[in-house]
Amino acid sequence: MSFEQILFYVFSSFLVLSAGAVVTLRNPVHSALALVLAFFNSAALWMMLEAEFLAITLVLVYVGAVMVLFLFVVMMLDINIARMREGFAQLLPIGIVVAVLMFGVMYQVYNGDRFAPGDMPVPTPHAADYENTRELGLQLYTTYVFPFELAAVVLLLAIVAAIALTLRRREGTKYQAPEKQVVTRREDRVRLVKVPSEARK
Amino acid sequence: MLENYLPVLIFLVIGFGFGAFMMALGFILGPRRPDSEKLSPYECGFEAFEDSRMKFDVRFYLVAILFIIFDLEIAFLFPWAVVLREIGMFGFVAMVIFLALLVVGFIYEWKKGALQWE
Amino acid sequence: MDLTLTSFAPAMPEMFLLGMLSLVLVVDLFLTERTRHITYILSLLSLAGTFWLVLDGYPRLPELAFHGSYINDPMAALLKLFMLLAVMVVLVYSKEYIKQRDMYKGEFYLLVLFATLGMLVLASAHTLLTVYMGLELLSLSMYAMVALRRDNVDASEAAMKYFVLGAMASAMLLYGMSLVYGATGTLDFALMGEAAAKLPTNDVTMLFGIIFMLVGVAFKLGAVPFHMWVPDVYHGAPTAVTLFISSAPKLAAFAMLMRIFVDGLGELHQQWQGILIVMALLSFGLGNLVAIAQTNLKRMLAYSGISHIGFLLLGVLSGTSEGYAASLYYAITYVVMSLGGFGMILLLSRAGFEADKLDDLKGLNDRSPWFALMMMMLMFSMAGVPPFLGFWAKLAVIQAAVGVGLVWLAIAAVVFSVVGAFYYLRIIKLMYFDKPESDAPIESSADLRILLSANSLAVVGLGLFPSSLLAICSASIG
Repeated sequence: MSFEQILFYVFSSFLVLSAGAVVTLRNPVHSALALVLAFFNSAALWMMLEAEFLAITLVLVYVGAVMVLFLFVVMMLDINIARMREGFAQLLPIGIVVAVLMFGVMYQVYNGDRFAPGDMPVPTPHAADYENTRELGLQLYTTYVFPFELAAVVLLLAIVAAIALTLRRREGTKYQAPEKQVVTRREDRVRLVKVPSEARK
Repeated sequence: MLENYLPVLIFLVIGFGFGAFMMALGFILGPRRPDSEKLSPYECGFEAFEDSRMKFDVRFYLVAILFIIFDLEIAFLFPWAVVLREIGMFGFVAMVIFLALLVVGFIYEWKKGALQWE
Repeated sequence: MDLTLTSFAPAMPEMFLLGMLSLVLVVDLFLTERTRHITYILSLLSLAGTFWLVLDGYPRLPELAFHGSYINDPMAALLKLFMLLAVMVVLVYSKEYIKQRDMYKGEFYLLVLFATLGMLVLASAHTLLTVYMGLELLSLSMYAMVALRRDNVDASEAAMKYFVLGAMASAMLLYGMSLVYGATGTLDFALMGEAAAKLPTNDVTMLFGIIFMLVGVAFKLGAVPFHMWVPDVYHGAPTAVTLFISSAPKLAAFAMLMRIFVDGLGELHQQWQGILIVMALLSFGLGNLVAIAQTNLKRMLAYSGISHIGFLLLGVLSGTSEGYAASLYYAITYVVMSLGGFGMILLLSRAGFEADKLDDLKGLNDRSPWFALMMMMLMFSMAGVPPFLGFWAKLAVIQAAVGVGLVWLAIAAVVFSVVGAFYYLRIIKLMYFDKPESDAPIESSADLRILLSANSLAVVGLGLFPSSLLAICSASIG
């Protein structure tokens, strides 16, 4: 077995284990952490496929941002774990049936002639000066410029939708207005009052 | 290409090994004599008043969501910066439009007061 | 690389709409409750401007843009025209309703415009990637619209169900796309057909790719067995949003079906036909049977919508260009009728009263003979009674099914449409023969009354001259 094959098996077995842990662990915080581990391992697998940009983005965006938000939500929300487990026994048979069916389907697909190990030629590894990010950039901003701009629209929509659904203005709250603070002049704040001196009685 | 990432792998292995080593060391050498008082939650000397989880204002999450959106936007900038010389004016304009749309979003956030803390 | 401006010209309507959308977004920030009508008018103007641009650029032959990501062909243009019309009608219908329910904010209009842009993209998609982007743009806006009334428990629940199931369906679609991409090696619909034709018949990977993509599309259409969200979302969402979801997005979902399965995988018609037959049969069967048991008008119309989707699939599954034209005709017809049906609920509702129960229609004839007549025509049309529009649409799709020898399916369709006629006729009975439960006058603005009347009369008008619209549909399929 070559070094890369060993690495592949290490990362993929970690991936499978941590993905299993995500659904089986009792504590949702642990589940979220297991998901982080799963993301890391899939990033490593992508890296081994020479998709360096995707791998790094997965770590940056998913591990760095999405999962942090996720953990934040999971830690803060009062999720009643006991209540979420109700009905587990009832749903289990259906779940098993679906899982077995899905497994059968996957087995059919991946055991077909298309995905057999000998069916796909092993890609020749690229030289050290090859940059996957560069190749991606050359395609993304030219050939795929339409979906690229649509991605911006989806992000814009996400901003609008997030604000529409969560922002709630309360009446009568006070906050600082820095733009007003910095333009204040002495004359606005200090008033010299001439007080006539009074004679002592 | 992968050889470029060998240092990262070595780093990962050492980091993982070091962490595992330290935890194992603590596990083996550290004295463990738990009793019920030691393991009970502690809140300024009182019994814990309530569960540590509670409903938080959704506005906290709004800030995080808005952060993720701009984080994603940044991800699009990296490949662009790498190939800007080759894709020329066209690629430049494509990114300007992309960023302009997000600037519109930013103006929206700002004016709506989503970034303002009351 | 050909990067002149002319290569983007076909996408002019989308670019214009995006520009106007950004404008509305910024302008709305500076408006107050009292000047909000500027947002409304600007939104209508953007849609009207886009409509004009689509009409102006109506193509004779398919035009590609953005390196084959985008196609402007007659079908896209026709669908876009009706989508834009439907959205404009939705905005006019819903204005009073959202004002009374604290939804009269810029966000409602922005989300509608975003969704419209998503629909236009879907109608013009020419790669799997564009399909997915358009779909996400459309779905995300619709999830947010359903949840827009945050304090309403029903709406929040509906939004949650819609979002979770919708995300699941999107994931399925994406998985199917990846399998198809793996099998054919291309995202482009024009190349996909060639690549798919070279594959051995019943290629397992391709087959599962098709099944997974069909799940995603069927969810968007609301076809059985992926219909579970439809009644809950239609019922729970504010009626203005239900009106929107039930109209233009159905055209977009139809466009998605046509783009992926006819433009892209038309060669593999044999492989997806069987699945569509089952879906069609289940949809008009279950939709019509369950609709009978409903007491809520919105739920009833939701199940009726499911059954209409079943009929719509009849044309597509036939796999002939007559069939595609018939389905296109059916989709447009359904949108016109659905706008009328939900528009009627908006007309009858007022502040604090939803008018979404069947009992609320009791004795409508005593309260407003004119609108009772309008509603009767809409119901006759949905039931497929000649000479109304719905009849011709049903006739066209059934003919298409018979044309490819699926006589048994056509007979089943006829039987279930007779079953379905029961609940439409029950509404007419309620309106004309029952006593009204309240004699509150119908409060609604003049524009809603006029447009709703025009909408209902269109069902009659187009029904009396059925060949005109059908001819346009046939010409656009080409």
